[in-house]
Amino acid sequence: MPSQAMFPWLLLTASFLFTLGALGVLIRRNPLVVFMCIELMLNAVNLALVGYSSYLNSEEGQVFAFMVIVVAAAEVVVGLGLLTRVFSIGRELDVDDLDEMKQ
Amino acid sequence: MNASTAALLAGLVLLFPLLGSALCGLLGPVLGRRFVNLAGTLSIGAAFAVTLVIFAQVLGAASGHQSITATLWNWLDLGPGNLNVSVDVTVDQLSVLMLLVITGVGLLIHVYSVGYMEHDPGVARFFSYMNFFIFSMALLVLAANLVILISGWAAVALSSYLLIGFWYERESAVLASRKAMITQVIGDVALVIAAFLIFVNLTKVFPTCSPDVVCGLPAYFTQHLYTLSLPQIFANASSLGAGSPLITLICILLAVGAFAKSAQFPLHTWLPDAMEGPTPVSALIHAATMVTAGVYLIARFHALFDLAPIASGMVACVGMGTAVMAGFIALSQVDIKRVIAYSTMSQIGLMIFAVGIGAYAAGMYQFLLHAFFKALLFLAAGNVIHAVHDEQDIREMGGLDSRMRVTAWCFLVGSLALAGFLFAGMFSKEDLLGFGLINGPGAPALYIVGIVVNILTGLYAFRLYGTAFRGEPRSEAARNAHESKAVMLWPVVILAGLSALAGWILQWPVAFGPHLIDAFLNPVFTSPAGSHIAKEPGLGLGVIGFVIGLTCSLIGIAIALRIWVRRDLDPSRALARPGLRVLPRLSFNKLYFDELYDSLLVRPTRALARGLRRAGDPVMDSWIKGISGVATDFSSAFRSVQTGLIRDYASYMVLFVVVFTVAVMIAAGMAK
Repeated sequence: MPSQAMFPWLLLTASFLFTLGALGVLIRRNPLVVFMCIELMLNAVNLALVGYSSYLNSEEGQVFAFMVIVVAAAEVVVGLGLLTRVFSIGRELDVDDLDEMKQ
Repeated sequence: MNASTAALLAGLVLLFPLLGSALCGLLGPVLGRRFVNLAGTLSIGAAFAVTLVIFAQVLGAASGHQSITATLWNWLDLGPGNLNVSVDVTVDQLSVLMLLVITGVGLLIHVYSVGYMEHDPGVARFFSYMNFFIFSMALLVLAANLVILISGWAAVALSSYLLIGFWYERESAVLASRKAMITQVIGDVALVIAAFLIFVNLTKVFPTCSPDVVCGLPAYFTQHLYTLSLPQIFANASSLGAGSPLITLICILLAVGAFAKSAQFPLHTWLPDAMEGPTPVSALIHAATMVTAGVYLIARFHALFDLAPIASGMVACVGMGTAVMAGFIALSQVDIKRVIAYSTMSQIGLMIFAVGIGAYAAGMYQFLLHAFFKALLFLAAGNVIHAVHDEQDIREMGGLDSRMRVTAWCFLVGSLALAGFLFAGMFSKEDLLGFGLINGPGAPALYIVGIVVNILTGLYAFRLYGTAFRGEPRSEAARNAHESKAVMLWPVVILAGLSALAGWILQWPVAFGPHLIDAFLNPVFTSPAGSHIAKEPGLGLGVIGFVIGLTCSLIGIAIALRIWVRRDLDPSRALARPGLRVLPRLSFNKLYFDELYDSLLVRPTRALARGLRRAGDPVMDSWIKGISGVATDFSSAFRSVQTGLIRDYASYMVLFVVVFTVAVMIAAGMAK
């Protein structure tokens, strides 16, 4: 299939995935699932970037997608580290329970 | 010598002490006393060696090529017609003479300090400050740019402040250092205003008419220079107008700066208090070098002072007035260092008088010899203070001549040099007073006052010597006093040798004529205006002045030895006797200057501050509380947004992204 014709579907898929991820971040209470939803949002963006790259015939979008992957990896490292700390001090893994930053 | 050699040598003179200061200050506390002693003195020794090279270069240069201005680097350049400051140095006879004294006498005093500060825990700090002082003083005398000169000027005040307050556990030392700093700043402000006036008003002087130069340029062609470079200022000084109010004002402001630095009336009260610092500091900073910076300043700016006879006359009068006043106060002081401090003030008064009447070379001659014998007196006094366990009251001394033979002989040499008999002071003082016979405002009125100063000098110098060294010891400490170590004795002996011989050598071979310093320095002091430079008194007049001056010195010495030493030593006891005794009371209380300034300046300022605090504090507080209240109210309104829940923050983010995106799309649609 010619990629030009596929492009709108690609964007639609990306926005669907992004919305799914955003809703997951907003609704779910388990931090692990929240993380996965964030990954979903990031990958939705990656999909859009790569799609634009192919549509506009330029490599920049693909290069930027790699940057996003690196950021996502770093984010997972930090985030999982935090989660294991929270778990090891005996706290329940619930994002609504972790509200000490208030005030 | 070309400009790059001059720049290199001058740079080295500046670099060595600065390096020494950094080494002593940073590494001294780690590496210990031995390192500090070495680094602190070797750096000054190196600077002295370089100064000797410069001196040889200047002596060897062809006449007319002895003054060289070189640029080390460009510090600030705001474009043409604007402020440009380059770090320029001038190497000429005047700056070399100053440098020789600063590094030479400075070296001796640094060596002496090794012994004097032997048991002090702060020795690293001490040598760091002392080296920094030498650096700043060298910067001050080498500067060929007003900004650099003022930097050096302020840096010597800083090092003086740090060293007066060196023993910062003593309240009196801290108060004295503060007093010195405040007085210095008054002078600094005057100097800076003078610099502004010069910067704004100086215009280019076009060469006088000659066949190939267009002359008689119209007024609109005057070209503003906007420069602070000293050679340019001096070359175009006449554009300020000879004798005009403007140049008189500039010169008076310069003179106020000089008075603050050189402890002249009415800014003199800090110098006696500055004796709270360690004795080597008093010798180096408050006798030999820093306090003579005022003399140097006026001599350096002679091109301006030559054009402002009123300001010069004022300088001469203030100098002579201070000389008499300080001599009078010195008569009854009982602290050995304070007597020498007042004598310093008096001797510098004579130098200021000399530069005021245009006898610049004579003033610098007095500066040179005074540096020798005054450093000698202070270092010898330091030996005495050490020997009698930090006692400074001469009433508790006496009989030291048999216990401290070398110090006593050296002190005698210094006293004779100070009083002006046989040694150094005889040449320089009679020389500059001789100029007073035919120069200066209302000559020879000031000369006659100078004769009185001569008598006073002999009186207090030998009252001090007699009371401290002759007679019977009047305290246990004085009875057990013993001679100092070699490291503290040798510098004193060398200075005694210099005080004894320098005058004879420099006067050689013409007895009453111009001395070598005169011949050496006069090329610096020839100015285009020229009219103000002092006329030499003729040989006959010179001999008469010399004989009168010498006689008066001898009268003073004789009176001191006969009356004071044999009879009453204690001015406070003399004051207790019945009778009015106005003069002794005035002298003992230093003419009440401290009390006067206290009631005229300090107390009203304090009262004003207290009143303002009482009236102003509530007002200011209400303002500040109002401002902080607004901020608190504002932020507490927004505080409820901070729930601490991640999901809330995420929702805000999504919400604003959506709002923003929609807004952008609408805007894009409207633009289409």
